Amino acid sequence: MKIRIIGATLALTLAGSVWAQQKTEEPAWAAGRPQSEQAMAMAPVPAFPIPTAVADLPLSKMKLPPGFKVEVWASNILDARGMRLGAKGTVFVSSLFVAGKIYAVVDKHGVREVKTIAENLMLPNGIEFYKGSLFVGTPKQIVRYDNIEDTLDKPPAPVTIYDKLPGDATHGWKTMRVGPDGKLYLPIGAPCNICLPDDEHGKIVRMNLDGTNVETVARGVRNTVGFDFQPATGQLWFTDNARDWISEDLPNDELNRVTALGQHFGFPFCHQGNFTDPQFGWGKNCADYVKPAALLGAHVAPLGMTFYTGKMFPKKYQGAIFIARHGSWNRTRKQGADVVVAFPDGKGGARTELFLSGLVQNNELLGRPVDVMQMRDGSLLISDDHNGAIYRISYGAP
Amino acid sequence: MNARHLLILCLAWSGAATAQVDYVSRYANNCAACHGVQGHSVLDGIPSLGGQSALYAITQLHLFRAGRRTSTVMNALSAGFNDADLRGYAAVIGTLPPPPAPQTVADAQRLARGRETAQRHQCLACHGIDGGGGKQVPRLAFQREEYLQSALKQFKAGTRIGYTQAMSEALSNVETGELDDLAHFLAHYTSAP
Repeated sequence: MKIRIIGATLALTLAGSVWAQQKTEEPAWAAGRPQSEQAMAMAPVPAFPIPTAVADLPLSKMKLPPGFKVEVWASNILDARGMRLGAKGTVFVSSLFVAGKIYAVVDKHGVREVKTIAENLMLPNGIEFYKGSLFVGTPKQIVRYDNIEDTLDKPPAPVTIYDKLPGDATHGWKTMRVGPDGKLYLPIGAPCNICLPDDEHGKIVRMNLDGTNVETVARGVRNTVGFDFQPATGQLWFTDNARDWISEDLPNDELNRVTALGQHFGFPFCHQGNFTDPQFGWGKNCADYVKPAALLGAHVAPLGMTFYTGKMFPKKYQGAIFIARHGSWNRTRKQGADVVVAFPDGKGGARTELFLSGLVQNNELLGRPVDVMQMRDGSLLISDDHNGAIYRISYGAP
Repeated sequence: MNARHLLILCLAWSGAATAQVDYVSRYANNCAACHGVQGHSVLDGIPSLGGQSALYAITQLHLFRAGRRTSTVMNALSAGFNDADLRGYAAVIGTLPPPPAPQTVADAQRLARGRETAQRHQCLACHGIDGGGGKQVPRLAFQREEYLQSALKQFKAGTRIGYTQAMSEALSNVETGELDDLAHFLAHYTSAP
């Protein structure tokens, strides 16, 4: 008996030490970093912990195509990330590390009031509004606030609809949409810069709105922080952030299109549709994975995206995808920090064009677009977590 | 001196700052009594602020004010700070010179053990080859030893969390018994020959 107990203890101890060895010591983002002086000087920089004053927002630096104008729509929203529009006009705003809050912005005759409706949340990046309810996703769980627009000053206790997510701090944050099928779509990112994820990670899943019937929608997905459904086809398109530390210029981040449930998009074996991973790509063939619809640039961090269905912008933008690029950290010469438009070609590909630029000056990021959201009048809101602000882009007469 | 005494002392100092508007004076009046005029603390448990970046300073002030980092004194002081105060204090802290080498004599064996731990767990990969930190990462070189001990133990125990669990994860394979030697090494660390 005594020997058995000792044996069991030893087994537990060994299992514990194996687990400990598997845990990474350096931060996940640093895995794979070369030892060069330039590389050692690079690290992700979180949003500044104070929103930028309205007068100091980089509005005058922004460049847009002719006929478009940009204005500040709301400011003083620390760490403003994802945006969703309520049925009664409330703009819900999520945040990440720096704030840990969910906000509601209410427009009262042109004056916008920012209310904090939830706080002390772990990485609450994922929000979705559907039939009167606000869904909030953290790395561990999805909750739902019912009748939210009528209770902004005293929101009800949320209902937990799913709490069995892995809970990773790395790429565990959510972005969420309810699809045309009435199901909730969300990612479970790879918990690393580069690794072979287990079956639970590296994918997009969908579930019923009560948390039942979880299905895998796409595999081989590293870290998608934005997706939308093409209005004409109902197909899911998503941005994906590619791995770091291979090179200044490789691999490209991706825009992808899902045409069948369970397709594999390459991570960690193949990047940008044509480039096998230096570590995990041996013996693999990029032809075995779905190719990106468009390449969005190396390290640019494409995040929120939305199909444009409004009437305000010129006709060429109908059905096009606006994509916010957060801007690079894993690159000595910064790029991104802008908004691009992808024009689907009807054959699974897309041509991209720069839309909003000017936020990289002297190799510094003056602002960092996170999400794009169409308003009912066809104007476009853009969130900027670096400055804690939301901009509005309109076309033609004000 | 316990935390309550410190709080009273710090608050008493802050009461003296009435008409001052510039943060150099505010730092002198509200912070220097504990953290040192030049950011070189001589008090047990109080970190030196000299050599820390303004981004690290403002991030910590933000976490103190939001109650996400715990310190009786700092939570009470920062509760009254507005955003301009955070910016102002952080900017001043960012100008303070790094602290001088500690007066205490280093124990060669403990230094060697601490150095080995620091190398094995790649501490300076983030905290700088010179231990000087950078951006949101704090300077460790010549920081007060007992403060480093306490901070390492809080991170290890998961009772101090920054924006993320990064430090707790970084210490997940460091044995609790190694932390004191690690603090000893860092408190005496210099990359200068």
